[in-house]
Amino acid sequence: MASNQHPASFRDPAGFIFEHDGKFYRQVNQCYADQYNLLKSSGLYDRLQKENRLLAHTELDTCLTDNTDWYKTLLPAQVTFMSYPYEWGFSQWRDAALLTLNLLKTAIQYGMILKDATPFNIYFENGSPVWLDSLSFEKYDATKPWIAYRQYVECFVAPLLLASHRSHELLKLFQLYPDGIPLKMLAKLLPLKSRLNIHVLLHVVLPNSLTAGKKKGPHETVPFTRQKLMHIADDLESFVRSLKSANSEKKWSNYYGETVLSHEYLNEKKDCVKEWLEQLPARSVLDLGTNTGLFAQMAAGIGKFTVAVDADLDCIDALYLDCKQKRVTNLLPLSVDISNPSPAIGWDNKERPAFLTRIKTELCMALAIMHHLVIGKNIGFFQLATTFSQLAPWLIIEFIPKDDPKVVLLLQDREDIFEDYRESSFTEAFSLRFIIEKRKPLHHAGRILFLMRRKDLSLEN
Amino acid sequence: MKQFFLYIDPGSGSYLVQAIIAAVLGGLFYFKQKWLKVKAFFSGKKKGQEPENTGKHDGQ
Repeated sequence: MASNQHPASFRDPAGFIFEHDGKFYRQVNQCYADQYNLLKSSGLYDRLQKENRLLAHTELDTCLTDNTDWYKTLLPAQVTFMSYPYEWGFSQWRDAALLTLNLLKTAIQYGMILKDATPFNIYFENGSPVWLDSLSFEKYDATKPWIAYRQYVECFVAPLLLASHRSHELLKLFQLYPDGIPLKMLAKLLPLKSRLNIHVLLHVVLPNSLTAGKKKGPHETVPFTRQKLMHIADDLESFVRSLKSANSEKKWSNYYGETVLSHEYLNEKKDCVKEWLEQLPARSVLDLGTNTGLFAQMAAGIGKFTVAVDADLDCIDALYLDCKQKRVTNLLPLSVDISNPSPAIGWDNKERPAFLTRIKTELCMALAIMHHLVIGKNIGFFQLATTFSQLAPWLIIEFIPKDDPKVVLLLQDREDIFEDYRESSFTEAFSLRFIIEKRKPLHHAGRILFLMRRKDLSLEN
Repeated sequence: MKQFFLYIDPGSGSYLVQAIIAAVLGGLFYFKQKWLKVKAFFSGKKKGQEPENTGKHDGQ
């Protein structure tokens, strides 16, 4: 293993990712030379890259690692923000699953095949899924079936099926099973009526019953043809396309529509946040508890790359579809509960870093969320200030007073242990981490917006 | 090309599974094509009667 090798890049002997001078590179190893050359000479790379389906790279003829198996160094376009599948909503999963099949089919046209099918090879850029790994293709042998078939079913079909037949919260199960949800478990979790579907019978029930107890290796020789593989790919595609989220019947979570808060409040808040967003030098925004994504879309509209998170998967899915329809490309909706963000997982806990380690934005927006964290989760003001100060150097936060209808609702069925829940304690705690730049009371709701700058950030930055 | 690239486990019996699925899908595809032909034959006669006749007339 090279000394600067990325901790998640060790499975595939074809090459690996490494970091050098603050940039991520990919080394192609000698053993993959023929395959890599075929990817280029066949025209497959050019086509996929042109159509933004595969991350583009430039070739370098210098070895930048201490690994002697070097064939070529690639400098891929640097990824803005790496999200993980267990942070995606249903439609993001489905688009990623369809991209994978699309790559498989396109590769076959060029005499190559996709040799792995994990959603960790996909990230979202400009509102669409993009395949990251240019070493995922190998020469196609038409006499062989698809080596990544089972991986595809367990990694893409399984989470989508559970989300479709049970509840889309089960997409999060992938965090526990990052190598795919085992077919045996999937078969147990799916309702019996799902077996009436021919696709479920073929891709879940049949393989599960056939492989149960069998210990055959990968060297079975079963005659195969290109036409057979295309049948399987086409069938998987129509299967994935047919899946709908079990929660899709639910309405868009309309916080601003349902709330007792007035339009005047909303307009006042919009004007203030917009003004601050336009004034601030921050180029990227993290919107916590984005809900309908109103303010996240506002930040994106001003040209800031925005990551919008919410614990509610319905919101995330609706926002993704809304952005897709409106062609908003600089907004990434993700299902992250900020009171329990995605942890570091995988080998040595280093393969997939935690959400808080990955997120690097210049401004954090915490609008109408503070009361959920403080009163709903018993998180203290100083704890909030400390975590928020690690998220971004700039903070726009909305203080919700205790007599606010939303707070009253939260306190309705529980004992009020929040004696210190008042503006003075809030500003006192936040002043330990931030400098309060602006304070704007929203007269129509009694709430207060604050603009804060982290203490270590000088104004020249 | 080396088989060295089999770095993921295709799964026990996965190849056999794919062969069976492909056979089933191939069969379904075959019957679907046949069915479509039959359907086209009948619906073609019913719906296409007029244009067909017109065509013949034109030809004559």
